[in-house]
Amino acid sequence: MSFLNPFFLIGSIVLAVPVIIHLVRREKSEVIQFSSLMFLLKVPKRSVRQQIIKNLLLMALRLLILALLVGAFMRPYLTESAVPKVLSGQANGIVMLLDNSYSMRYGNNMDKLKSEANRRIDALGANDQMSLIVFNDSATVLARPTSDKGELKSRVAFIEPSFNGTKYYEAFTAADHVLQQFEGKQKQLFMISDFQKAGWNRSSRENVISRDVKFDKVDLGIENSTNVGIDNVSVNATSFTRQFGGRVVARVHNYRKDQPVTVQATLLMNDKEVGGKHIVMIPPNSTQLTDFSGFDLPIGASKGKVRIDSDDPLKVDNEFLFAIDRRERLKVLIMDAGKPRQSDYLLKVFNASTDLPIEASVAMADSVRAESLPQYKIVVVNDVPSLSNAVRDKLVELRKTGQGQFVVLGPNADLGWWGSFPGLPVKPIRKMTANSELGRTSVSITSFDRNHGMFKKFRNSATFTLSTALFYKFTQMELKPGAAALAKFEDGSPALAESSGTDRGLIVFASSLDNKVTEGWNDFPIKASFVPFAIEIARYLSHSDDVREWYALGEGIPIVGSIEGGAAAVIDPNGERIGLGDLAAGQQLFFTPKIPGFHEIRVGHDIRLIAVNPPSNEGNLDKIPPDELIAGVQSTAAEAQRAGLFTSDDQLEHAKRQLSWWYLLLIAIVAAIAEILIANRSFRAPSGTLVSGGKTSGSGLLGFGRN
Amino acid sequence: MSTNIIEAPKNRFIDPKVLMRIQNLELTARTVVEGFVSGLHQSPYLGFSVDFAEYRPYQRGDELKRIDWNVYARSNKLYVKLFEGETNTRVLVLLDMSGSMAYGSSEVRKIDYAKILAACLSYFAYHQRDGVGLVTFDTEIRTYIPAGRRTGQLSNIFKEIDHSEAAKETAFSKPLRYLAEVLNRRGIIVVISDFYDEPSSIIAGLRALKAKGNDIMAFHIMDDFELTFPFDQMAQFEDLETQRKLHVIPEYLRKQYLTVLNSHMEELKKGLRGAQIDYTLMNTSHPLDAGLFSYLAARINSL
Repeated sequence: MSFLNPFFLIGSIVLAVPVIIHLVRREKSEVIQFSSLMFLLKVPKRSVRQQIIKNLLLMALRLLILALLVGAFMRPYLTESAVPKVLSGQANGIVMLLDNSYSMRYGNNMDKLKSEANRRIDALGANDQMSLIVFNDSATVLARPTSDKGELKSRVAFIEPSFNGTKYYEAFTAADHVLQQFEGKQKQLFMISDFQKAGWNRSSRENVISRDVKFDKVDLGIENSTNVGIDNVSVNATSFTRQFGGRVVARVHNYRKDQPVTVQATLLMNDKEVGGKHIVMIPPNSTQLTDFSGFDLPIGASKGKVRIDSDDPLKVDNEFLFAIDRRERLKVLIMDAGKPRQSDYLLKVFNASTDLPIEASVAMADSVRAESLPQYKIVVVNDVPSLSNAVRDKLVELRKTGQGQFVVLGPNADLGWWGSFPGLPVKPIRKMTANSELGRTSVSITSFDRNHGMFKKFRNSATFTLSTALFYKFTQMELKPGAAALAKFEDGSPALAESSGTDRGLIVFASSLDNKVTEGWNDFPIKASFVPFAIEIARYLSHSDDVREWYALGEGIPIVGSIEGGAAAVIDPNGERIGLGDLAAGQQLFFTPKIPGFHEIRVGHDIRLIAVNPPSNEGNLDKIPPDELIAGVQSTAAEAQRAGLFTSDDQLEHAKRQLSWWYLLLIAIVAAIAEILIANRSFRAPSGTLVSGGKTSGSGLLGFGRN
Repeated sequence: MSTNIIEAPKNRFIDPKVLMRIQNLELTARTVVEGFVSGLHQSPYLGFSVDFAEYRPYQRGDELKRIDWNVYARSNKLYVKLFEGETNTRVLVLLDMSGSMAYGSSEVRKIDYAKILAACLSYFAYHQRDGVGLVTFDTEIRTYIPAGRRTGQLSNIFKEIDHSEAAKETAFSKPLRYLAEVLNRRGIIVVISDFYDEPSSIIAGLRALKAKGNDIMAFHIMDDFELTFPFDQMAQFEDLETQRKLHVIPEYLRKQYLTVLNSHMEELKKGLRGAQIDYTLMNTSHPLDAGLFSYLAARINSL
C-alpha cells in the first residue's frame, strides 16, 4: 500500500492531542480538600466503572475518527492486491520461484521457505495451476504446471539448500518461459527468497517478465546479518620445497554492521593444526587478514583448511579450503648444437634459481633419444639446426600433455627446417643483421606484453626492462594466425612468440642465448634482465602457476588427458566416483563440481587434488528491495504503453485501488455518529442536582473539555 | 420537646463573614447575643433570685407573696418585687473538633462557625445565670470544663474554644459514653457537630444522655458546598480527616453523593426526633441566630 498524499501523515499528530489532554488532566488534576469522603465512597462502584468504560470508549472512538480522517486525506493507494491473488475468482497460472542458494542456509530460512510455499499451495483455487522453479545460480523447473497440491507439496518437501550462489536473472528467465504456457489465465509470479543483493547484476537489466504478470513475494531477507566468514584465501598452490616458503593469507569478513567481532582462526594441513591459533578482531562491516607460514609439506597434494570459530547462523563460510601441491625439482633439458659452452649462461641461471628449484642438464641435440624426453618438464632447444624426426614428433606429443618447450632460433638454426616444425607459432623468414639491413648497429626489445603470465611478476615493476640488451643480429619471424608476440624488437618484428591457445606451451625466441656476447648476436645473457627472463620462462612453461589453490563452486575445472591417455574421473567429497570418459593425450574437458570440498581428479595414473569452496559473495546477506528487483526485470508502464500493452483494464484497476479513502471516510462518519450518541447519553446533566455556575456542558463531536 | 418554634428574623442579623472579622470571641458573642436579645418583644428570662432587680405593677395572677407591702403602704399601689434570676439549669456545650470541621468553601470554616455558635450559646446561658460548661471532642474527649458559674468560667470557656483546632477523625460513641457516665446532674446539652459518623452510633450515644434527664439540642453544621456539591471539574478529593485521596468526576457523582447525603441527614433527623432531641441544620453561609432561637425554645421548655 502506498499513499498519494503522504504529507497528510503530519495530521496524525492530532491523534496525540486527546491522549495528552487525558494524561495531563489526569496527572495535574486539582487536589480539593473536602470534609470527608464518607459519602463519596458510598457511591456504588459499578456506576463509576461504567462511566470509566464509557469514557475510554469515547476516547477510542475519537482517536479512531481522527485516524480515519488522516488516513482518508492521505489517499491510500493499493500498489498490489492486499488479498492473496490466488484467492481471486479468475483462474490463475502461478510460477513459484523458490530460492535454495547457499545463503538460504542462514538460520531456519529453508524451513520458512517450505512453510510459506505450502501455505501458498494450500491457497490454490480449483482452476489454478502452479509450477515450481527452484533457483540458485541456475534455475531448475521442479514441477510443471499442475493443480495437484499433493504433488506440489511433495516436491517442496524435497528441496534442500544448495551450496551455489544466487542469480536472479536465470530464475526470471526460466519463470518467463513457464509463464508463457499460461494462456488465458491470470499470470502470477510468486517468489520466496532472501533477496540477497549479490545475486543481482544490475547490468543484466532486461525485460524478461511481461507487464501482465502480477508479482508477489515472501521476503525472508535478513536485515541485520550477524554472519562472519572467510571470503578468500591466498596461497601459492605449488611448492618445490619441504618447508612451505610462502604464506597462507586468509581474509575474514565481518558482515555485521553494528559491532566488531573477534574470532579465532586456525590453519589445518591434512587435518592437522599447524601455525597455532590466531585471534582476529574484525571491525563492523569490514575485513581483516590473518596469515600462516612456516609449515612442512609432504610430496604431493596437501589438503589445507582455514577455520574460524564463530557462532553465527551461517556455518558454511566458517571454513575455507585450499590445496598445495609440493613438487620435486623442475627437470629441464637443454639441447644445443654442441658448440663450446653454448648453453653456459642458461645452465648457470637455471642452477642458480632458488625459489624455483631447477635441475637442468645439457645435451647435444643429436645425442638425445626420444624416449628420454618425457622425464623433463621443460625442454629448451637452444639454437639447434634441426632435430631428428623421432625427437621432433615426441616433442609435439609431449607438448600436448603439458611439457613446456622453448626454442631459440639463432645463428645455427636451419630456418627452413624449423619453418616446418609442427606447432611453431612463427614462420622464420631470414636472419637479419641490424647494421647492414637496418642501418644501425643494434636493435632492442622495446616492448613486451606485461599482461602475459610470463611477465606477471614484472607487471608493476618500473625497473624491469628488456631494452638494455643490444641485438646485432636476429631472426626475422612472422607470426602465424592465432599466435601472440610476447615481446617485440624496435622495428616491430616479434622477439618472443607463443603458440596459439590450442597448442600452448611452445615459446620461440628470435635470437641466440649463447656465450658469444661480444662477437655474437647479442649481449642479452650478460644483462641483469636475463636471469629473471630465463627463470620466468621456465616457471611459465612448467605450468606451476596454472594450478589453482582453490576453485569457487560453479567454476569449470580444466582436465587434460595425460601422455598415455586413459579414463578420467572425479572422486567427490562424499567419495562418489564421477566418470568423465576416456581422455586422449592432451584432450581437455571441464568439470563443474556440484558440492564444495576436496575433489580428486584422476586421469590415467595422474591424480590431482582440487579444493572447491562455496561462492564467497553468498556470505554477504545484504538485501535488494524486492520491488527494485522486479522492476529490473519487468517492463514498466511506459514501456508497456509504448508496446501497446497498457490496457483500459489497468486504468480501471488503478482507479479501484484509490477508492479506499471513501471507505475510510464512511467509517469515520459512522464512528462520529456513535460518538455523539454515547456522549449524549453519558454527559446528560443529572436532573434535580445543583451544578455550580451552570457549567454542565453539552455534547459535541470532539468535546474534549467536558471531563 | 419539638424543633425550634421561634422563627428567626433573618434580615436583622449579622452575616457570619462579618463576625469572622471580629478577632475577640467574647466580643463576637456579646455582639450576637445582645443584638439578638434587644430584638425580642418580651424578655422571659428573669428568674428567681435573692438579688433585687426591679418593681412592676401587680397584675392578675401574680402570687400575693410577691407583692411588696412596704411600697403599697407608701404609695397605696400594688407592686410586685422582681429579683435577678439564679442559676437554675446547667448548660454543657459539646463541640466537635474533628478534622472534617476544618472544611470551608468560603472564609467561614465549619469550625469557625461552630466556635462562634458555641461561644454565643455559652455567653447567652451564662448571662441567664445558667451554669455553663464545655466539652471538645473528636474520637475522644479532648477538653472537659464542667458546667458552673465560677468567676472566670466564661473566660476559660472562651479561651478553650479559641485555642482548639480541628483535627483527627469523628467518632461519637466513646465521648458520649464517657459523658453519660460522668454527668450526674440534669441540664441542657448542646451538641455542635457535622455528624460525620454513622447515625446509629450518634443516636445511641445521645439517647444515653437523654435517658439521664438531659435536654439535648443537636446543631448540624454543614457547608453550603457539602449540601450542594457544586464542583464541575475532575479533581482529587482529599479527606480532611484521613488524608485519603480519591479521583472524582463530580459530574458523574453529584447525584449519587446528594442521595447518600440526604439519606444520612434524614436518618439522623428521624432518629433524633424519635429520641425527642432537637435537631437544627445550620448552613455556614446563613446567620447564627437560628441556633440561638433553638436554644431559647429549649431553655423555656426546660424551666
